[in-house]
Amino acid sequence: MASENGGRLAFEVLTQVDHSVIAPRLGRLSVPGRKDLETPNFFAITSRGAAPHMTPDVISSRTQFGGVHMALEDFVDKAGKGGTPPIMNVPNSSPLHTFTALPKRISTLLAPRRTPAVTAPVGNSNTAVSIFTSTGFQAISNKNYINYISAMHPDIAIGLGDVPYGSVPGSKRVEKMGDRTEKWLSELLNEKSEEQAVFAPILPIDFLSQSEYINYIADEAANSVSGLAFYDSNILPDIPATTAVAKLPRLTLDEPSSPAQILRQISLGMDIFTIPFIGFATDAGIALTFRFPKPLPPGSEGEQKEEMSSGTSLSPLGIDMWTSSHATTLSPLSLGCECYTCTSHHLAYIQHLLSAKEMLGWTLIQIHNHYIMSEFFAAIRSSIRKGAFEEDVRVFERVYESELPEKSGSGLRVRGYHYKSEGPGEPKKNRSAWGNLGPNEGKVEALIPIRTQRD
Amino acid sequence: MVSPASMPSALTFELIARCSTTRARAANLTLPHGLVQLPLFMPVATQASLKGLTPQQLEETGCRLCLNNTYHLGLKPGQEVLEKIGGAHKLQGWKHNILTDSGGFQMVSLLKLANITEEGVRFLSPHDGTPMLLTPEHSIALQNTIGSDIIMQLDDVLVTTSPDTKRMREAMERSVRWLDRCIAAHANPTTQNLFCIIQGGLDLEMRKECCKEMVARNTPGIAIGGLSGGEAKADYCRVVNACTSLLPELKPRYVMGIGYPEDLVVSVALGADMFDCVWPTRTARFGNAITKHGMLNLRHARYANDFGPLEEGCGCICCRTGEGSLGVTRAFVHHVAAKETVGAHLVTIHNVWYQLALMRSVRQSIIEDRFPKFLKQFFSDLHAGDKTKYPEWAVEALLTVGVDLMED
Ligand SMILES: [Zn+2]
Ligand SMILES: [Zn+2]
Repeated sequence: MASENGGRLAFEVLTQVDHSVIAPRLGRLSVPGRKDLETPNFFAITSRGAAPHMTPDVISSRTQFGGVHMALEDFVDKAGKGGTPPIMNVPNSSPLHTFTALPKRISTLLAPRRTPAVTAPVGNSNTAVSIFTSTGFQAISNKNYINYISAMHPDIAIGLGDVPYGSVPGSKRVEKMGDRTEKWLSELLNEKSEEQAVFAPILPIDFLSQSEYINYIADEAANSVSGLAFYDSNILPDIPATTAVAKLPRLTLDEPSSPAQILRQISLGMDIFTIPFIGFATDAGIALTFRFPKPLPPGSEGEQKEEMSSGTSLSPLGIDMWTSSHATTLSPLSLGCECYTCTSHHLAYIQHLLSAKEMLGWTLIQIHNHYIMSEFFAAIRSSIRKGAFEEDVRVFERVYESELPEKSGSGLRVRGYHYKSEGPGEPKKNRSAWGNLGPNEGKVEALIPIRTQRD
Repeated sequence: MVSPASMPSALTFELIARCSTTRARAANLTLPHGLVQLPLFMPVATQASLKGLTPQQLEETGCRLCLNNTYHLGLKPGQEVLEKIGGAHKLQGWKHNILTDSGGFQMVSLLKLANITEEGVRFLSPHDGTPMLLTPEHSIALQNTIGSDIIMQLDDVLVTTSPDTKRMREAMERSVRWLDRCIAAHANPTTQNLFCIIQGGLDLEMRKECCKEMVARNTPGIAIGGLSGGEAKADYCRVVNACTSLLPELKPRYVMGIGYPEDLVVSVALGADMFDCVWPTRTARFGNAITKHGMLNLRHARYANDFGPLEEGCGCICCRTGEGSLGVTRAFVHHVAAKETVGAHLVTIHNVWYQLALMRSVRQSIIEDRFPKFLKQFFSDLHAGDKTKYPEWAVEALLTVGVDLMED
């Protein structure tokens, strides 16, 4: 736990590097009251304050992630109708943790919007951005956002950025983006409490278009912000390499689509990731199976199987749990994985659960996928520590496919309201095919093959 | 007919205490996967999973005996897979006991027009419409493969409210004949306990006749079936009363499909030991938390700013305070209910805990011989002390076993 630094967030770069050189780096993020986070690492993404499919006890005993991304838009539904969001009424000093029953060791990162975010029909204005709550779109002003931050006390707040979603902004818009974001950030820095850690948003436009804003951060705000949040990590190499800026932790919100993209961003010096594909994989019934830099030594059964099923010499990044060939396979999702799912259950059960559309299937894959990701980052850190990162990345790219497997499409319309396909009243889809059978109708088959009776 | 003495058993039943007023009992039932304490509520993990809870979370609620549905497991993952995996315990990673139904009830209730003959239940496959047949022999073979600790006979179930006495008698008598076929087909009597199921609708004479026939078969345990089908609660109580008075003292008595808290405590007073129902877990999915003061629908706006636990004093991991507490509030469940599966999981954990804890306190009160007092407190809590709100059927049923809820 981080108690030094006068109750403020601290980040320490552990690798000795020349700031002007682009390179992967090791760090340690110390958030007061939370467990220290070794970087590179990732924050899990939440939905309405919950890590999807995982109850707080599961998070606390079955996962290793050290932080979560929470979106303001998941908490302020009521504000649209002039009400006060309940999170504002939580009766203690740690409202986000209390409200979401989040284990204390885990840091909270508050962003205005979810990642990925739904495109709003109305754009942002000079004073406000559009957000999407469960009751519809709302405009949220920087002033309100600052109020929410001060009431919710997230461990880290990302400043409001004029981030366009959905469309490529025109040149006129681009001009405004940096200006607005600079104004909003300086307002936040002026009004926030001393201890509140703020990450400055870096916009998803080229460096030149936001150079004034970034220079403002480098020249005036580098000591008041606690980190940088990149909506596009490609800007990272262009950031001024001043000592004050270089010591800031760098977080990315740009939705990497594969582990290879994460590796690339780490090579640019990215520290903390938010990774929507973990949840996408889980919802699609895909269990991640990659390790860094390569799978466990071949010769083991699981390994050969993976290679055969991919039909190429490259190993897949995940396996589709819908595939019925797993129905009797008693091995873990990923060979050598020590997660709760893999040490307690087998492929056959997960396959059964998905096929039966039981919610536990997604829970178990979600636990495993987050664990795989934690192990991935742990291996990356150890590789950087050994100075082997570049070589290991080449190995990884040689061994694994570049993208996650396609969703198989089977059974994706799962039951369960998180897919909003069905309301109360239980599934009826199974029943339609059921029908009466007259006594003389057709050939009769046993529900089950009759076993040889006892002798 | 089989000789009663020859029927093996894979359980031991130890009577611990008897209520000196009602017919309630406390017992220890030792099954192949360990001890369970009666009276007992069994949550239903239909397809080898309990509504998103990990087997470990289910274990943490105190559950040591849960249900799987044979019909569902027969379709998915299917007998062949179950055989290869080595049964339902291995499939779901559950170290404790499992009870399976015969599959017959599911068919009759899901396929309202299933056709029942002496041979078995005929129906069309829900997958491809192929004509299918479930016989007593199939049901037992499937349950043998599943490897459940308690297996149920295939019975001919009619809704109790059926007015057709002739058909009711046929169903009752056929259930007895099917029990004989189940006993004959049962491959693992030393590792799996076959329970018979008393039928006979609401006709007490028919129920008694069925009890007599089935008790003579000497199965390790006895179920009372065909209830919870929409009959009047008073009729339900009369049937349970009639059956328990004829059943042997030293065997577990299981009333199928019962789960409302007031039904549970009254049925225990009438001498029943075991119950199952999908209601506590199904209703959790819609944000309904069971408490001793009644059910809370946490989706209601009044809970949006309620930062209290789901139920004050509850010992589940959501509600408990101190060590191991999650600090889940009504406001959080309201926030995620019907939007994130986590909301359903949390309420499910609480509801299962509630049901099991209720039965634990029932048991404790029987052991301490203060069950009548417990009943009075229970109904008072449930109806905020307003006796005019007490259900008439419960008051009447409890009067038959010497408890007057109306007296102070
Ligand atoms: Zn795993
Ligand atoms: Zn509780």
